[in-house]
Amino acid sequence: MANQHGIIAKFDTPAGIMHAAEKVRDAGYKNWDVITPFPIHGMDPAMGIKRSLVGRFTIVGGTIGLTTGMLMIWFTGASELSLPYMDGYKLIVGGKPYFSPQFAFPVSYELTILFSAFASIGGMFILNKLPRHHHPVLKYKDVAASSDDKFFLYIQNEDPQFDGEKTRSFLKNLGPVEVGELEE
Amino acid sequence: MSEDFSPNPKKWLAIGVVGLTISFVGFFVDTQLAVWSYLIGLIFITSIAVGMLFLVMIHHIFDAEWSVIVRRQAEHYISALPYMGFLFIPLFIITYMGKDQGILWLWMNQDAPLHGHGTVSTDILYQKKTWWLSETFFWARAFFCFAVWTYFARAFRKNSFTQDQDGSPNHTFSSRKHAAAGLILVALTWTSAAFDWIMGLEYHWFSTMFGVWIFASAMRAALSVMLLTCAFLVAKGPLKGILNTKHLHDVATLAFAFTVFWAYISFSQYFLIWNANIPEETFWFNDREKGIWWPISMILIFGYFLFPFLYMLQFPLKTNFKSMTFMATWVLGLNLLDVFFNVLPSLKDSHGEPFQLFSSFHNIIWYISGVAGAGGVLLWAYWSSFLKTKIIPIRDPRIRDCLNHNH
Repeated sequence: MANQHGIIAKFDTPAGIMHAAEKVRDAGYKNWDVITPFPIHGMDPAMGIKRSLVGRFTIVGGTIGLTTGMLMIWFTGASELSLPYMDGYKLIVGGKPYFSPQFAFPVSYELTILFSAFASIGGMFILNKLPRHHHPVLKYKDVAASSDDKFFLYIQNEDPQFDGEKTRSFLKNLGPVEVGELEE
Repeated sequence: MSEDFSPNPKKWLAIGVVGLTISFVGFFVDTQLAVWSYLIGLIFITSIAVGMLFLVMIHHIFDAEWSVIVRRQAEHYISALPYMGFLFIPLFIITYMGKDQGILWLWMNQDAPLHGHGTVSTDILYQKKTWWLSETFFWARAFFCFAVWTYFARAFRKNSFTQDQDGSPNHTFSSRKHAAAGLILVALTWTSAAFDWIMGLEYHWFSTMFGVWIFASAMRAALSVMLLTCAFLVAKGPLKGILNTKHLHDVATLAFAFTVFWAYISFSQYFLIWNANIPEETFWFNDREKGIWWPISMILIFGYFLFPFLYMLQFPLKTNFKSMTFMATWVLGLNLLDVFFNVLPSLKDSHGEPFQLFSSFHNIIWYISGVAGAGGVLLWAYWSSFLKTKIIPIRDPRIRDCLNHNH
């Protein structure tokens, strides 16, 4: 037998997997997850998952975008800075001041949105440890049913609390349809 | 409901009557400012009620489930719309009974001298607009606006309250159809009201975005009042354990969305005028950079947009009744300041300079009485309706989903 990755349990109903998740959370397990065909309302608190940190990435990206836009327009219209390959010179457009936050705003605002979007997607990849092309749970025999009408919960053997037989009987007591081994 | 909670609508009616009486006295003491303050109060309070009407219609058109218990509060507020129509009548009387027919809307006095060139009737900018700025058409439009708002307010209230009795889903279907027509009609009438009552104060100026700007304002005012109402009813008991932080989060998110929407419209309007740099348009903003209006416009940018924006970006603050009570109070106060900013600089002194907010200390009496008059009537209408009906729409088809609302 290949190396063990963890233990997986199959459930028939959303309610079943939700109560199981609450018990796994209360038992103090850290490295575990549930696989369901659709989002189940209330699953996040049942699993003890805190609010996503993606928003932190977004605000940083947005702030950088706004600053970039403002600086870029200030540099192209109002500065005489010499940068490598780029010399700034003052430019009059439409009789307006060399620089004014008014006309720099639409561009800065678009860049705020663009950079926020990039940062959000990037942050999501980082937090989810993506890209990841394979997961051990995909080897499990009827995991395909998790995109149809079955609900799965697995605990990894990396979990500090993981203890082969104890974890297996713990999962069995949660009322699953069956409990199986996950291979690495 | 806790037993010590017994709202008294008459108290609010008394405040309203006191406010209206002071405004009435003001008409003889400080005629022009008292009338303008009355208009400001009326616009501010009407915008809250119209915003509530929009909230009810948005709820129905999207067949929303989370907002069923919130909608009931909006249904109480829209009962004030016919009363706002009554409060508009004095403006008609003042226009035709007073000394100066152009006391509010300068163009109504054909012989009013314009600063620097002739009178209104010889003004080309007036002559080109006579088809819209005709007195009969103006009052007919005002009547039509209040008629439309009253009709829809009554229809939604009747459907909802009858459903409490018989539980028939047909009332929901009827409301949905009303909402489809109402969204178009109320959007048009509210735009027309914004053009006539606010933009018409300075008929030289024109901005096609003005209507949607005032719509954004109305939504922000209504959502702030909604947040305060929800927080109050939860703290006092009636909605405790019914309206939870999930509902609060959704209302707060809408308030956040309209913060951004207001800024977007507000900036776009300013930017187009600033960029085109045509004197016929820029003078409106130039007037609002004179004297105290300059710091006020800065307060509106940073206090009315930036601060609420950064504040309401934060999830923990949006899900906390106390922090949203603070933000709603803040936004509502600045919303009133925004109405002042829109209306009052259009009032000119003999040199053609914009009126200054605190040109004299007793101005504040008319400001307060103007807002208290209409505001007292609004809250009187709210609590009267509140006491007559169920606290939540108990037989709404979506009520179960709403009570179990989860993200």
